[in-house]
Amino acid sequence: MKAADFLDMVQAALGKPSRELTEPYGPLDEELDSIRERAAAATERLQRERCELWEQLSGTATKRGWNVCRAAGVEEGLAYICNVASSAEFPRVVRSDQDVFDEMPVDAALGAQGVQTAVMSQSGGSTREELKSAAAMAGVGITGVDYAVAETGSVVLLPRAGVARLVSLAPPSHIAIVRPQELVATLDDLFLLRRLAYYEGDKNMGSYLNFITGPSRTADIEQKIVIGVHGPKEVHLVMLDEERAG
Amino acid sequence: MAEVKTREFIPASRRAVDNPQLQAALKRAGGGFDSARLDAIEELGEERWQELRERARQIKEHTLENLDYYLEMLYNRVTANGGQVHFAADAQEANEIISDLALSRGAKTVTKSKSMVSEEMGLNHSLESMGIRSVETDLGEYIIQLADETPFHIVGPAIHKTKEDVSEVFAEKIDRPGLVEIEDLAEAARETLRDDLLQADMGISGANFLVAETGTLGIVTNEGNGRFCTSSPRIHVALTGMEKVVPSLEDLAVFLRLLPRAATGQRLTSYVSMVSGPRAPTEEDGPEEFHLVIVNNGRSRLLQDEKLRGALSCIRCGACLNICPVYRKVGGHAYGWVYPGPIGAVIDPVLVGLDEAKDLPFASSLCGACREVCPVKINLPHMLLTLRSRLMEGDEESRGKATFMDSTMGHGYRMLMSAPKIMSLARRVGRMTQMAVARKGWIRKLPLPPFDRWTRSRDMKAIPKESFREIWDRELSKEGTPRSREGPKGGRS
Repeated sequence: MKAADFLDMVQAALGKPSRELTEPYGPLDEELDSIRERAAAATERLQRERCELWEQLSGTATKRGWNVCRAAGVEEGLAYICNVASSAEFPRVVRSDQDVFDEMPVDAALGAQGVQTAVMSQSGGSTREELKSAAAMAGVGITGVDYAVAETGSVVLLPRAGVARLVSLAPPSHIAIVRPQELVATLDDLFLLRRLAYYEGDKNMGSYLNFITGPSRTADIEQKIVIGVHGPKEVHLVMLDEERAG
Repeated sequence: MAEVKTREFIPASRRAVDNPQLQAALKRAGGGFDSARLDAIEELGEERWQELRERARQIKEHTLENLDYYLEMLYNRVTANGGQVHFAADAQEANEIISDLALSRGAKTVTKSKSMVSEEMGLNHSLESMGIRSVETDLGEYIIQLADETPFHIVGPAIHKTKEDVSEVFAEKIDRPGLVEIEDLAEAARETLRDDLLQADMGISGANFLVAETGTLGIVTNEGNGRFCTSSPRIHVALTGMEKVVPSLEDLAVFLRLLPRAATGQRLTSYVSMVSGPRAPTEEDGPEEFHLVIVNNGRSRLLQDEKLRGALSCIRCGACLNICPVYRKVGGHAYGWVYPGPIGAVIDPVLVGLDEAKDLPFASSLCGACREVCPVKINLPHMLLTLRSRLMEGDEESRGKATFMDSTMGHGYRMLMSAPKIMSLARRVGRMTQMAVARKGWIRKLPLPPFDRWTRSRDMKAIPKESFREIWDRELSKEGTPRSREGPKGGRS
């Protein structure tokens, strides 16, 4: 059915004389300046409450099934990651290409343990098929995060160049590294910030956004919860405390 | 379109009630989901929960009243994001759109994550008939597909099956014999489906929410198969009913708090995936093509019906199934079509035709529990009554078959209740005749038709030796107060 015909049919079913709204919807009429103001206020609040939120995230994430590592610094974080990788089902690691790895030199640390790390990035000259099979063969996937939501114990990833979707999905173990500046308090904060980014970025949402809240799970047989059906069985949240959090 | 068996509701219900294994599964299912739901709400706080429900109801009401406007906005945004939007008038057209997409792109294997609309369409059978392999990847749906059944519950399609049943299905259909534990069954599904999840040419998903403002769809899942279906194949096709739209991205914060709590008692599901279009050329993975198929399939009849339009607010959490005393006895298959439980009893008759599903609006005790638990405050009991009254007032053809009995009983009741003398006479006659059937103050079985139907599934209190009215009169005359014909305060007690 043609789009126009379908929309006319819906309008007719509603008995509306025109396509216009019957009453305005506040949130959609909001000016960009107002979204900016709200986002700025939220950012300021998040800055202020960072310590409490950092603690909250640690609690909610644990409840949602993350193994939480409170790393006092880069060294502690790296040690934890090496430990997870060396005890993984397959000692092969893939990671995304994000700025957190400039701070956290995981490749070198893992290499010293004899564990090889593949970077899921086309910039290295690999084809998409090669990258896909690297992700499929890996035992551990390591990513940074774009946001961490204290309310729900979730991390949010925005796939883009360098941030492949399969890194946090295909390997049986996923390690997410989160820094205090990625914290938001609630789902409302997150959607407000994404909405602002949409309008400031020339109406570009990016192709995909993923909330990850603990390991993959199912209760489809006799309602018994089983961890790790198609996605990662084991998820680790490395919270890089450092002095910024304190 | 999926086979319609709604005419079979009564015999199918009877079979379900007589099936002890099914009854055990239903007992486990209803209780489990519902207590998890209550825990999750308690943690959030009752007041906050009620605020969210009301907000959700308002958003849905506004969106449905302006669905043409928001669908157009969605269409424009998805197109601008590089996706293609297809509109399907009915199940057949939707099936054709998807088969055409698969065939024209040379897709041989399709992986599917959960979509109730695809159940309406009978999509798997349609694809198979075109020579395209269609693999359900949600564990429950996978079991159902292997067993060649239909979903038993909106959220847990296979909750009627025991692990022994699943073990048998896996042994027979995928050559994985001897699996006993649920963990091993889940692992077998993980291993068996992994290659398809990675290698399929096309992934088909449903959508829980469509954000008109940004052209984004939200998919709420737990297993990870949904992420694979929307990430790994080169083509992603999302399939959705036209009612799933919300206006703003920020509205999602409301619905993402309601849906998981109402459905499984989770604070948030393991995954929420939001798709806004195909991958950018610079991305390492993700589909090259993104298609959104928006399906009517009878929904416009609900939309134009002001008394039933609210049923389109449904976010498919299944809470009304879990609480419903009828669903908890007869289960999901008895309803005979895709949507069971109270929500199914309202929307199935409109989607498949009221004449086809006359018994469904009566599959409710009108206890109101479904309305209480509904996260978007759909007034299901009222809608069931609306459908019942339409069945009664309809032409000879579509009128309910109990019309004569119902109206006779109705008239009789009205007469008795408004004429105290006849009531008192009837009481005395009743007291005498009930001696044959009353035991210890209860009538458990009336022997004669048509009255035996009343006691087939309920017990009735026997008429007491003395009525309230008689006690009242006696006690008052004892105290020497003048005997009042009208009772206290002049009311007709």
